[in-house]
Amino acid sequence: MESLTLLLEGFSQAFTPMNLLWVFVGAFLGTAVGVIPGLGSSMAVALLLPVTFSLDPVGAFIMFAGVYFGGLFGDSTMGILMNTPGGSTAIATTFEGHRMAKLGRAPQALATSAIGAFIGGLIATTLVVFFAPKLADIAVMFGPAEYFALAVFAFIATASVVSDSVIKGLSALAIGLALAIVGIDGISGASRFTADVPQLFDGISIIVITVGILALGEVFHVASRIHRDPKLSAIAVSGRPYLSKREFREALPAWLRGTAFGVPFGVIPVGGAEVPTFMAYGTERQLDRKRRDPQFGKGAIRGVAAPEAAGNATSGTAMGALLALGLPTSATAAIMLAAFQQYGLQPGPLLFERNADLVWALLASLFIGLVVLLILNLPFAPLWAKLLLIPKHYLYAGITVFCGLGVYATSAAVADLFIVLAIGILGFVLRRYGFPLAPIMIGVVLGPLAETSLRNAMMSSGGQVSVLVDSPVTWTLYGILAVVLAYTLWRRITTRARQDV
Amino acid sequence: MITDAGNSAETAEEIHPVDQHAGRKHGFWAGRSGLVVAGILAAIGTYLTAGILAMDVPEGAKAPGPTFFPTLIVIAIFVLAVLLVVQTLRKPEHVVEAAAEHRFHTDWKSLGLVFGSFLAFALLLVPVGWLISAAMLFWGVSRALGSKRPLFDLGLSLVFASCIQVAFGAGLGLNLPGGILEGIYG
Repeated sequence: MESLTLLLEGFSQAFTPMNLLWVFVGAFLGTAVGVIPGLGSSMAVALLLPVTFSLDPVGAFIMFAGVYFGGLFGDSTMGILMNTPGGSTAIATTFEGHRMAKLGRAPQALATSAIGAFIGGLIATTLVVFFAPKLADIAVMFGPAEYFALAVFAFIATASVVSDSVIKGLSALAIGLALAIVGIDGISGASRFTADVPQLFDGISIIVITVGILALGEVFHVASRIHRDPKLSAIAVSGRPYLSKREFREALPAWLRGTAFGVPFGVIPVGGAEVPTFMAYGTERQLDRKRRDPQFGKGAIRGVAAPEAAGNATSGTAMGALLALGLPTSATAAIMLAAFQQYGLQPGPLLFERNADLVWALLASLFIGLVVLLILNLPFAPLWAKLLLIPKHYLYAGITVFCGLGVYATSAAVADLFIVLAIGILGFVLRRYGFPLAPIMIGVVLGPLAETSLRNAMMSSGGQVSVLVDSPVTWTLYGILAVVLAYTLWRRITTRARQDV
Repeated sequence: MITDAGNSAETAEEIHPVDQHAGRKHGFWAGRSGLVVAGILAAIGTYLTAGILAMDVPEGAKAPGPTFFPTLIVIAIFVLAVLLVVQTLRKPEHVVEAAAEHRFHTDWKSLGLVFGSFLAFALLLVPVGWLISAAMLFWGVSRALGSKRPLFDLGLSLVFASCIQVAFGAGLGLNLPGGILEGIYG
């Protein structure tokens, strides 16, 4: 029960008025960014990173705890009301959620999604509290070869599972890796691909890459289609979001099943919560068909409950994987990792020993953040939808200015502004041709880990490649990867066969 | 079609023929502008190759040295570029019919305006200062995205830039350049 005492200490640290304010501000801003169509929780974290620079590490991470879940609460609101999911994780929620809204049950849909996100996040974070320290104990046994196996796992799984085309996924990954190797090589001290520009010696900052690919790329994308896409209209919400007892009982099993799908995927790096949300949605639909009065297609409450719980459960355990293993399993977690590195902290097994107070304050804040978010989202969801009353041109103009502010504030270097512009164009082109963006972020963040562990492993073995597959841990990881790939392949073939019929 | 060749030269050139399909048969490029990504990959690969060949490897660097990992990436990049070309040639993007003619094409004018605004912001930030360059960026982007009230926007963008200056500069202690207005405020 050591975890509980430590968690209580974390709570006592988080429960100062100032830190409560930071959680609230984080949750508020996170929801606001998440609500805007096209901007998910990873964008919320990226854009708000510079805001935290003047805070102490504890305050900054407490704020991030709010932002982290906030983006996920927000993105389903727009999906339900306008049929435009705020992020990829809200797509599965949107199918039945928007149907419910069209039938005049928008308040119930919003309530189901907010409570689902709360339950999923709560259960997952509780599991993290009890199991992350154990995970960290196991991680101590990891050597360079094992870390390389983890990185390869993340690369291949993200590139192949998430995107519709493996070649596109791998290309995005390669671009991410190429961005990661610019700068002075940490092992030998050689200057690599810097063209002798001093600003590049430290490499291209992860913040520049994130803002460029995700934020500026999105603004370019919106600009390129501003006169093309049809105008969107939201469904008006009458009354406050609530659930009757019967509806609550109806949704409860779906919330729990969704959470069960979401939890493992936080630790398995397949690029975020898309896979578990769709799996949860699919399962509910299968179960629904066997009932006497099938609800799917008529606005099924379970079709909203399951994916929403799955999405937040994934994010919860993803935080555990990040803290205990130093392994980001989604783009959002990757930016969180960058935030840790910004403060000179390296997530991983040692973090629990060296920065215990910060870790437990962060975990405690995740709980507080969830409660704040439930309060912010359950009664006030219709108010968030009013954000869309801000004309689109001012909304995105503001985002662009924040991109410039964030990048310049990080480094005070004008060179970074030109780099972010070039990367923004790259992000736009990749979006335009349907390339997935998550592999880029995974490549950028895990690239250095992959390279260092690969070279260290081979140096210590005198150039023997076999050292990479020399331990039970590596066998297990490559084995799971093979199973995941086989499953993906099998599913692609079966869905293709079904389409042909 | 309006092309801002100077701004996004490489994309503009290659995509250009796609837009000219009104009234005649689709050319080879129709639906195949995705080749541009293969081109970008090849360009990155070439830059990395040049960098690997020209790299100054310090003496005594243990094998595998600093060129080892980049070499793996370069190989992967060229293989993927070839695969992308093959994929795009075999399965072009579906070409849109006249009714929905514009749905899948890019609005180069708006895009160029946003790009130009950000470029100007980057160039002007230090000499002119945050307040004016950020206001100009806001104004430019909102104009590009279809705002029709230039004078109102001008006021709004100045207020927006000043709010950030006050909140982040004075409030959170970020150092934003004052430029030509240095000394007048803050």
